[in-house]
Amino acid sequence: MKNFMLLRVPAESKSEAFIRNTVASFSIELNPTIDQLEDIKMAVSEAVTNCVVHAYKDRIQGEIEVFAEIINSEIHIRITDFGCGINNITEALSPYFTTDNTTERAGIGFTVMRSFMDDLSVKNNEYGGVTVLMRKNLIKED
Amino acid sequence: MVDCRKGSDALYFNFSGEIDESCAHKVRSYMDDMLERFPTKKVVMNMKDLKFMDSTGIGLLLGRYKKIISKNSVAYILNPSSGIDRLLNLSGIYQLMPKVEK
Repeated sequence: MKNFMLLRVPAESKSEAFIRNTVASFSIELNPTIDQLEDIKMAVSEAVTNCVVHAYKDRIQGEIEVFAEIINSEIHIRITDFGCGINNITEALSPYFTTDNTTERAGIGFTVMRSFMDDLSVKNNEYGGVTVLMRKNLIKED
Repeated sequence: MVDCRKGSDALYFNFSGEIDESCAHKVRSYMDDMLERFPTKKVVMNMKDLKFMDSTGIGLLLGRYKKIISKNSVAYILNPSSGIDRLLNLSGIYQLMPKVEK
């Protein structure tokens, strides 16, 4: 089975619900369990929150591109921004790391993505911004 | 989002709908306002009607936790859904705000 979707939306917090619900709806054809749907919504929301909160802090408005693809029983999700990039990706991926020092951020966004999906990779784009790739197999767990 | 009820034993925050970055600011200032206005020994975060929350919500709870313990109060989390429960477990916040069920 093969299918794909592509979205490009403003990097604003109101886009978060739209993106996570759209990707979750897209995954429906794989018959995910309720828990698997929750996992996808959670991971997508974390990736999009990063774009909204961190990617464009030096700019007025940016955009987020979301590409999702169904390959056999897996969903592959690619979330890209065109913002400032991440200085140190290893540091950013470590649990409880945050660049925000107001104590209002848990610093676990990437940890959530990693544990709710099967696979996570994060890289800076050649021409600016960050791409997050996630993969999850939606075969029924017994 | 959230509303607040003063019970005989505790101050209850009843969460509903979805909590993410788009409403975090509003929820934060509402909760801080209520915590100022109604001093209490015990705060209960009732998540029975909360459909979705991501780690922005964890940051929100951590920030409120710091205010709550600074007033020598304690906080508990009540009835999270299974998806939110997995997030709360992963975050380690139950060590600060234990889960209660009823």
